Amino acid sequence: MATITFRNVAKSFDNGKFTVIPDLSLEIKDKEFVVLVGPSGCGKSTTLRMIAGLEDISGGELFIDEKVVNDIPPKDRDIAMVFQSYALYPHMTVYKNMAFALKLKKMPKKEIEEKVMWAAKILDLEPYLDRRPRALSGGQRQRVALGRAMVRNPKVFLLDEPLSNLDAKLRTEMRSQITMLHKKLQTTFVYVTHDQTEAMTMADRIVVMDKGVIQQFDTPQKLYNEPANMFVAGFIGSPQMNFFDARLENANGLKAKSVGFELEIPKSKAAFLSDYINKNIVLGIRPEHFISPDEAFEKGSCSLTVSAELAEMTGSETNIHFELDGKRHIARIKSDKKINRGDKIKLLVDPETVHFFDKETSLAI
Amino acid sequence: MKTKRRIRNTAVYILLFVLSVAFLAPIAIILMNSLKGNFYISQAPFTPPDSETFVGAENFIKGFSQSDFMRSFANSAFITVFSVAGIVLLTSMTAWYIVRVKNKFTRLMYYFFVFSMIVPFQMVMYTMTYYAFELQLNNPVGIVFIYLGFGAGLSVFMFSGFIKSIPNEIEEAAIIDGCSPIKTFFLVVFPILKPTAITVAILNAMWVWNDYLLPYLVLGSGENKTLPVAVQMALTGGYGNKDMGALMAMLVLAILPIIIFYLFCQKYIIKGVVAGAVKG
Repeated sequence: MATITFRNVAKSFDNGKFTVIPDLSLEIKDKEFVVLVGPSGCGKSTTLRMIAGLEDISGGELFIDEKVVNDIPPKDRDIAMVFQSYALYPHMTVYKNMAFALKLKKMPKKEIEEKVMWAAKILDLEPYLDRRPRALSGGQRQRVALGRAMVRNPKVFLLDEPLSNLDAKLRTEMRSQITMLHKKLQTTFVYVTHDQTEAMTMADRIVVMDKGVIQQFDTPQKLYNEPANMFVAGFIGSPQMNFFDARLENANGLKAKSVGFELEIPKSKAAFLSDYINKNIVLGIRPEHFISPDEAFEKGSCSLTVSAELAEMTGSETNIHFELDGKRHIARIKSDKKINRGDKIKLLVDPETVHFFDKETSLAI
Repeated sequence: MKTKRRIRNTAVYILLFVLSVAFLAPIAIILMNSLKGNFYISQAPFTPPDSETFVGAENFIKGFSQSDFMRSFANSAFITVFSVAGIVLLTSMTAWYIVRVKNKFTRLMYYFFVFSMIVPFQMVMYTMTYYAFELQLNNPVGIVFIYLGFGAGLSVFMFSGFIKSIPNEIEEAAIIDGCSPIKTFFLVVFPILKPTAITVAILNAMWVWNDYLLPYLVLGSGENKTLPVAVQMALTGGYGNKDMGALMAMLVLAILPIIIFYLFCQKYIIKGVVAGAVKG
């Protein structure tokens, strides 16, 4: 059992001069893989460090397994942490790095050896046990850092941007390794990243944070399909969601009128939007939800013609950058034709995929 | 372009060669003359010993008997070992505290240490000697504390520079692994500081071992005298009364331990001096 509960937790620095986390309440379930995600300075690492006990808590209560841990030192919290810079002990071999915490616990030598060998086998580190960290590659170092955490068999695994120093290929590889490790160890994982792809692919649930406030805490699918506000909608998904200012009008059916196109509101969404008639709203369309007329599509009741400013071929798809109403947008369409700058492109939108936001509050309607 | 570079390189080599000769010549002259008879030392000080001038270990035996060598050697060794150990251990801990605990007090402490480096010894030697006598520090144990004070400036400065380059996360990992602050320092931080610690040890050992003025002022020329003082006291008297051969032999023996110590540790000096200069 290892649940983590934040109850109105606050964190400020310099005697309250700078508040990083004003009021955080959050409940992480046992054996759950939770990813904290958000832009730099949003408080995600501070939140993780508070769980670790590396940062004092300025207010509220933090529970691990229903026990308040506010004043419990890190070593007594039964947690293990993997750092962005690996934080391996450079003067120790891989074996000694992994055995260090167990030695401090005065565990018998034989037991230490068994545990280290078990972790080394899982992480494929057996050939490197006698090496020092400087003789290892980035990926191997990261695996040692994971191994060091694993041997302790902790209640909670904390990972602070562990993959951000790796190259793209290795990152993908390590991503799946960590996910498999979580399944194998059946422990609570709290993972911090600013990379939303990592968050989406690894997490059971994601906490999206901005300015120390939780914007949404839900499954990756829910975050993608039903973002709570414009911040989450913009943060989750790559390239990010396009936002268009529009006005909702009721003339021959409910329509959202924007510069360059007009969107017929589907019946499924009309009920939610009735309060916004003759008001300004924001439409959110994900780049991948634009459709090229070349694709067989019948439902499309909205079309817009744009002038391509830049076209990026990514293989089977092309990202088309265009400008509308003074703002830059991106559409990702399936196209194998070469698109040049200035080409007029017709784009279709399925109204069912469009998101609607309150212009004043930025909240999803 | 190539010829220009070759000329420049040759000029640099010549300059370095001349400098090497200038630095090594005194040592070579001492070594050569320690094996020659007194008459030949003053006649031809720059020629190596030959079958006529070579006197074997005679100068060394004379020096031993005249200079109370073993006692002053032991004094020097005691003072050097304990001063250097104290400097390395205490200044590394101080530097760690200064770097990791950032507040006005630690900043002020750091400036004090840096400032102490630029104050010349001659400026403080009279007051220092007065207080050394007042506080009963005029003995081999007491002078260790004085050396600790004089050595702290440069050592704290060097350790601080290196500790800044150690990621904080390593210490945090140690805390999570179960280390107390003391264990974090001795099991994690200090081993990482090894190259700098050795550099600090060599620099201080050379200075303390070879120092003449401070031990002369504080310990005097009695039974607590150190090796440089002992050599000077025993073997040089009034004009024309110098036993140059024995003096040279004692000088060879006096510089030998520090040269051996340096040769053993010299690879760390470069590592220690450049450590922290670039982000690894």
